[in-house]
Amino acid sequence: MKRKRNLVKGWAVKQTASRRRAVGVALVALVAAGALVACSSEDKTGASGDGGTYTIWDPYPQFDDSSNWVKLLNDCGSKAGVTVKRTAFDTSDLTSKTLLAAQQGNAPDVLIVDNPVISTLAEAGVLTTSDDIKLDTSAIDPNLLGAGQSGGKTFGIPIGANTLALYYNKTVLTAAGVDIASVKDWASLTAALAKVTAAGKKGITFSAIGTEEGSFQFLPWFWGSGANLTKLDSPEAVSALSLWTDWLKKGYAPNSVINNTQTTSWQEFATGQYAFAENGTWQLANAKKTGFEYGIIAVPGISGGTAAAPTGGEFVSVPVQKSTARYAVSQKLVACLTDTDNSLATTTTLSYIAPTAAVQAKQVAANPELKVWVDAVKAAKGRTGDNLGTKYPKISQPMWTAVQAALSGSASPQAALATAQTAAAAATK
Amino acid sequence: MTRHRHWLKTTLGLLLTAIMLFPVYWMINVSFTRPEHMRKSPPDWFPVDGTLDGYRTVLHDQLPYLGTSLFVGIGTVVLTVVVSAPAAYSLAKLNPRGGRALSFVLLVAQMIPGIIMAMGFYAIYLNLGLLNTVGGLIVADSTLAVPFAVLIFTTFMTGIPDEIMQAAKVDGAGPWRTFRSVVLPVSRNATITVSLFAFLWAWSDFVYASTLDSGGNQRPITLGIYHYIGNNNQEWNAIMATAVVASIPATILLVLAQRYVAAGVTSGAIKD
Amino acid sequence: MTAYLLAFFAYPLYRNLDLSLRDYTVRSFVQGGAPFTGWANYAKVLGDPAFGPALTHTVVFTVVSLTFQFVIGLALAVFFAKSFRLSATLRALFLVPWLLPLIVSASTWSWLLNSDSGVVNAALRMLGVDPVNWLTSPQWSLVSVIIANIWIGVPFNLVVLYSGLRSIPAQLYEAAQLDGANGWQQFWRVTFPLLRPVSAITLLLGLVYTLKVFDLIWIMTRGGPSDSSTTFATWSYRLSFGNLLPAFGPGAAVGNLLIVMALIAGLVYIRAQKRQYEP
Repeated sequence: MKRKRNLVKGWAVKQTASRRRAVGVALVALVAAGALVACSSEDKTGASGDGGTYTIWDPYPQFDDSSNWVKLLNDCGSKAGVTVKRTAFDTSDLTSKTLLAAQQGNAPDVLIVDNPVISTLAEAGVLTTSDDIKLDTSAIDPNLLGAGQSGGKTFGIPIGANTLALYYNKTVLTAAGVDIASVKDWASLTAALAKVTAAGKKGITFSAIGTEEGSFQFLPWFWGSGANLTKLDSPEAVSALSLWTDWLKKGYAPNSVINNTQTTSWQEFATGQYAFAENGTWQLANAKKTGFEYGIIAVPGISGGTAAAPTGGEFVSVPVQKSTARYAVSQKLVACLTDTDNSLATTTTLSYIAPTAAVQAKQVAANPELKVWVDAVKAAKGRTGDNLGTKYPKISQPMWTAVQAALSGSASPQAALATAQTAAAAATK
Repeated sequence: MTRHRHWLKTTLGLLLTAIMLFPVYWMINVSFTRPEHMRKSPPDWFPVDGTLDGYRTVLHDQLPYLGTSLFVGIGTVVLTVVVSAPAAYSLAKLNPRGGRALSFVLLVAQMIPGIIMAMGFYAIYLNLGLLNTVGGLIVADSTLAVPFAVLIFTTFMTGIPDEIMQAAKVDGAGPWRTFRSVVLPVSRNATITVSLFAFLWAWSDFVYASTLDSGGNQRPITLGIYHYIGNNNQEWNAIMATAVVASIPATILLVLAQRYVAAGVTSGAIKD
Repeated sequence: MTAYLLAFFAYPLYRNLDLSLRDYTVRSFVQGGAPFTGWANYAKVLGDPAFGPALTHTVVFTVVSLTFQFVIGLALAVFFAKSFRLSATLRALFLVPWLLPLIVSASTWSWLLNSDSGVVNAALRMLGVDPVNWLTSPQWSLVSVIIANIWIGVPFNLVVLYSGLRSIPAQLYEAAQLDGANGWQQFWRVTFPLLRPVSAITLLLGLVYTLKVFDLIWIMTRGGPSDSSTTFATWSYRLSFGNLLPAFGPGAAVGNLLIVMALIAGLVYIRAQKRQYEP
């Protein structure tokens, strides 16, 4: 009996008290510190208004409460006599978050979301139409508005637009003896890449990642070949994919493009080793920081001219609410966010092109460099346009899969696109 | 053991740790790199000509998030241990009805994709008004660790000799007192293991934080990282710098906890 | 405890089942009223050409990761069990990978393994070996994500097995030593048998966690190129969330197939446990 009790005592842990206390104190201090910091970070955005609180969701987590963007949101709120509660989400998260919130009847009052998502949300019945909330969309460029339209109705207003073009490194091109004026079509571009590679530099970088980003980057070449999204395995489409595949095979483009996001691809260009990079309007600010001279040309079509690039950028929309009385204020908020002066400020902050001719003129007046981008945006085309709507995602996924298959060498461009067409046809039936 | 072998082991240990932590070193390296050098080929092995921009941004933006993360982490540890230790004790020693089924359910529960769990929580929290609260996040994070904790605790508690429980019983202790004064102290190793993982999971959780707390005023550091992931662009040196800054206090906590355990275990060796 | 379980696990589990048995469109997801379609989603998933490769990848990914994680973790646990200078600190440092948000550690790995600017290829070039397209070739992408996953899983195995080792009474080793057993014999005769329950639970949990891994693969390769690193977990995610137009039904169905795989493993574990108690 006695022996057993000793056993119990022996098992029980004898801990030197001081050490235990020290760690305990440290833990308590940490918790307290955490609580303090947590409390002191209390958010105090938003001028108070009497009209209640209106929620705005946007995909710009890079802007914090001191940014011009959030100031603009708050100003628009005070003008409408309400408090604005703003939440920023990662753009890839925003769609599912919105669907989930809408399912639970908790959608935000104003939603700013990537343009190809609009048709999905509209299909889900999450968004009001511009008729419902009486928004004026007459000044907006029709090619930009297209992404927000489906079945003859408009579900939002572009807050700004961007698109893709080719950045080039003047130093690299000069050293290789390439005159940028000679680059007019695919053949002359490929010839330029060959010269640059022969001179010991690298040709071109882009993003062919297996997500929507990859489709976004492939589309200028796809459309530039004359291909149409309704037929992924047309000879034109095969020529576009063969162009990319050959670049990889000949070493004109690095193998890493298969996994590159647009940021990674930009970082490659920023090393100063590459002659060309396919990238967007939003890199303009970063281009100035690279320390080498750069220029921008539109993506060329297969035999000259400018290829249509897809439009990017976000739309402001008003999700459906249980209480329709809220729309009046939401409408004011949207109108405020998209009026001429604010549009200029917003597009400058985001490094985007404005959706109206009036503001575009102001942008070019302030910064002549933007001219090439304004032209590119005018020539650009909505991905969900051509009346594709929610069919677009079902075509886009097989397309980026085909691009990956061809570039990684697991299928020929022809075979990859044939598989893609079968998959897309089955999905959109 | 000779002194010589001691040093050999320390050297080998350092080497193994270095291999293990090489990716972490690389993260630190990137956090100092200028954007234009990030994709240099071949890459720089050391951040020569580096920049502190990443850190400047992070220290400016991220400190409040760090506090929240610590708070959530420690809260999760406490809740997890409080919920799972008694449950595991009863599973291991009191043989309740359906105990086997329960451990089975726990196992399956861990397979539910996090995002589906998060969607379920979202609906529940919205009705309870717990959305965007730190407390709600702690409860959600504890569900990551509780099934694991119960299974680990059960495994360890099953190994406690029945005699010492018997002894406590003879001394007139009820199941609760036995649990408190015999089982818990003996399960130190398990408790520490469970606490460690509860903390780590809560610390690095992203799915719950983003679904349940992204509109809150007190957000954890995993969401803070999203400051630098814009819709078109990512600032990698700031992202990596955030991860570095975020792991420093947690690393110190881990090292402290480990020493604490080491000390506790040696003094708690079995004596007969 | 049961209440906690019911409140927090039963509902999501029910949701996942419900999602997989109905024909959800984005519209019916939000507005309700999705028609009940029974096993249609499962039939669709099973008939998908991606099913076979995804199953193979899942099995390979899980078995290879698990084996290496466990062996390395056990070796390290035995190594660290004898205390030496700095042993506690170094052991704690092994956990640092777990402190990093997965988006950071996974991105770091894709950085290391990048075909053109990755440090691994730079090292290979220095050694005169041809660089490998780790993440961008169908032959290597699965290998790459497995390597990264082993790296992430080792600390877990180390910690759990280490605390298992510490629970083995020291006298048993003393006794074995008296009987003249060398280190190797001690390991096989004492450590290994006594560590069996802890090993079993470590392997089981490891299995469950490995089956579930998706963010690592998603960030490193998006399951590509051309599905060469797609597992059930990434496939499920891609169906439900990786597309502009979510397909919740099939996504949930794939998720449930994973749950079934874990169930089978759980049954095997419970049977093995029973056999242990009833010799």
